[in-house]
Amino acid sequence: MTVDQIPSVVERGGPASAAGRVPSRPRTSIATRRHRAFYMFASPWIIGFVLLTIAPMAYALWLSFTTFDGISPNWHYVGFGNYRELFSDAQTWQSLGRTGLFAITSVPLSIVAGLGLAVLVNRPLKARGLFRTLLYLPAVVPPVGAGIAFKQLFDQNSGAANGVLNIFGIDALGWLADPYARYVLIMSVLWTAGNIMIISLAGLQDVPRELLEAARIDGASAWRSFRSITVPLLSPVLLFQTVTGVIASVQTIMPLLLAPDPTPAGITALPQSNYLYMMHVFAEYFAFGRYGYASALLWVLFVLILVATGLIFKATSGVVFYNVDPEAKK
Amino acid sequence: MRPHAGAALSRRRFLSLSAGGAAAGAATLSGCAMQVSGAVSGSGETVTVMAKADDLSVDLIKQAQKDIGVKINTVLYSTSKLIAMMTNGNPPDLVRGVGAVDAPYFAARGVMEDLDPYFAKSGVLKVDDLDPVNDLWRYDGRTQGRGPRYGMAKDFSQDSMFWYNTGLFDEADVEYPPELEPVTYEEWLDKAKRLTRRKNGQTTVFGGSYNGVGTPSLLASLTVAAGGNLFTDDYSRVDFTAPEARKALGWYIDYCRTKVGPSIIQPDPNTWDGPTFQANRLGMSNSGYWLGGLINADKKLAPLSRLAPAPYFEGGRRVSPCQAGTGFWIPSKSHHKDAAWRVFEWFFGEAPAKARASGGWGIPTLKSLRPLMPAQEDYQKRVLRVQEDELKHYSVIAFTPYASADSLLALFNQIAPAAMNGQMSVDALARRLNSAMNEQLKRGKEQVG
Repeated sequence: MTVDQIPSVVERGGPASAAGRVPSRPRTSIATRRHRAFYMFASPWIIGFVLLTIAPMAYALWLSFTTFDGISPNWHYVGFGNYRELFSDAQTWQSLGRTGLFAITSVPLSIVAGLGLAVLVNRPLKARGLFRTLLYLPAVVPPVGAGIAFKQLFDQNSGAANGVLNIFGIDALGWLADPYARYVLIMSVLWTAGNIMIISLAGLQDVPRELLEAARIDGASAWRSFRSITVPLLSPVLLFQTVTGVIASVQTIMPLLLAPDPTPAGITALPQSNYLYMMHVFAEYFAFGRYGYASALLWVLFVLILVATGLIFKATSGVVFYNVDPEAKK
Repeated sequence: MRPHAGAALSRRRFLSLSAGGAAAGAATLSGCAMQVSGAVSGSGETVTVMAKADDLSVDLIKQAQKDIGVKINTVLYSTSKLIAMMTNGNPPDLVRGVGAVDAPYFAARGVMEDLDPYFAKSGVLKVDDLDPVNDLWRYDGRTQGRGPRYGMAKDFSQDSMFWYNTGLFDEADVEYPPELEPVTYEEWLDKAKRLTRRKNGQTTVFGGSYNGVGTPSLLASLTVAAGGNLFTDDYSRVDFTAPEARKALGWYIDYCRTKVGPSIIQPDPNTWDGPTFQANRLGMSNSGYWLGGLINADKKLAPLSRLAPAPYFEGGRRVSPCQAGTGFWIPSKSHHKDAAWRVFEWFFGEAPAKARASGGWGIPTLKSLRPLMPAQEDYQKRVLRVQEDELKHYSVIAFTPYASADSLLALFNQIAPAAMNGQMSVDALARRLNSAMNEQLKRGKEQVG
């Protein structure tokens, strides 16, 4: 039932009230009833959003102007002191730089991997359902479990990765230390490419077959069809994956799960290449107890994500193709 | 007009009666709150305990209800959760803590309940019976180890001691350490190097692990063993450039650089020594008496394993501190202090304490429970002999109240790997640690006031 189909107050009153025997309440307009219905249905989300997003953000904003550490009695208001310190903190800039590099590397790689897998399992294969399930399965493994598995696999002294290298006469590598740790981190992101595969697969199945057939009849190669028909039609999906991928990579806590000692104090022992912005935030909150400063770091990150998202939309506005049905506008 | 008997109460009278009742109730409640428990008070109440999963098993919680009639709700230990609960005025009634580092930190911030009045009236926990290790839970507003008691250790070890695997010593033809006399730290490292076995870039046998309970308390202990103090007299600064602290730091960086054992640049995926020692892949483990709990349960490993005294530095002092003293404390804003104290008494002095004492996972913190320590087998008797001799060298090494151990460890972890990898000299590391840690301590001192 749609909102338009909700019976009006008068209709629900039955024939007696329609006949005027019972004094009728003032008539409510359809627009008002629609508004009420809208707010009624949306209110659980709105209440949740206000209580669990807006309120904590406002609280974090307030904390960012203080020296609050959660427990000491003498914390005080410092105005923009935390924000000023943030701009002169080398760890902030270095971790931000690494995070940017990580996003630039991991997002395209995971989109290409996910799209590639989607194209493969979109083909008429035997046991296609099984392949789809197997490729998607890693994405449903809880990140904590994946982190533990990766740590065991890549441990220098007892990990399977070095076991394979030893078979080929290659000395063991310190995978979880620099300079290799960044590659393990990217592998852990690619491990969940099944998520992107599923969304891309849905997009691929939406590509009109007649367009692909027309291209084939016109002599277009498979690659040309993919480049000129599939990719443009998938561009909204790819944009969505880019935006959510960038946000997820900036906010990732995967390095924490790969940390040898995933505790507040242990997090700073991460290899430098994996000490990303969120790790810096985590350490400031929970190792150093600097709730005010860490809140300022988070607010800066929030603004940066907004700016980055705006830039991505701006940069892609000319290349994203929205397949709008012209009839629907009439 | 006065209301006659049986008339309905006026609104004003109802409000005044309610206010009077509330005041009387509040007075009664506050009287209860100030009252110090006897042996049976707190019965029938519910106590929230913030602990780690292995501190209080489900069976133990049921036993508490049966033994003392107090229901225990557990909250998994987490500093951030503790801060959240304290901030909203509803703290747990008992909180796990590491006495060696948590006691001065929380006591200086006024969030711990002074337990002296409770100890004074207790029929179970007598001050005379308390092992000196419980002094880790004392703080007089300036120095740890003196003043009121804010908590108690559930058991303890002298955490600079080490266990060694005689089988691996024999294989590598390395002489055993003397039974009751300590080796020097330099000798310990030399043995570790000789015990280490490597193949194809992998370490098959680690010579020795020496990381203490946490690096900050380890470095504080090593500095005292070298004859100095890591903290200044008022605990507001560290000085790693002082000769004794520099010596201690240099030794630890050497240990990490030679990769004879786990460290932050060669982490152990198990995160503790137990499994590696049990797998005969670790020659020496810097763990105190508590590791005996694991060793005694392994009939193959137990006869091969021996406990050795804490090493010392040439020209330094022979000290054998406890770097943990893990136990519980009662927050000053707990709403069920009497019931919490009853659980405290039961946990530290009654059936659970006796069970822990005979389990071998630590030295009991009541002197009267020491006869329960395991001593049936020859290897247990040997271990006990070494341990009893080592108790003579116990001392409290006071920690700073101005920074959490976690914050100092996090700074060390951030800065030290460069020195461990040979990219920074120990002197440069000492200067950088001074700068970073003193900044953190300064902030903490301002916050404490």
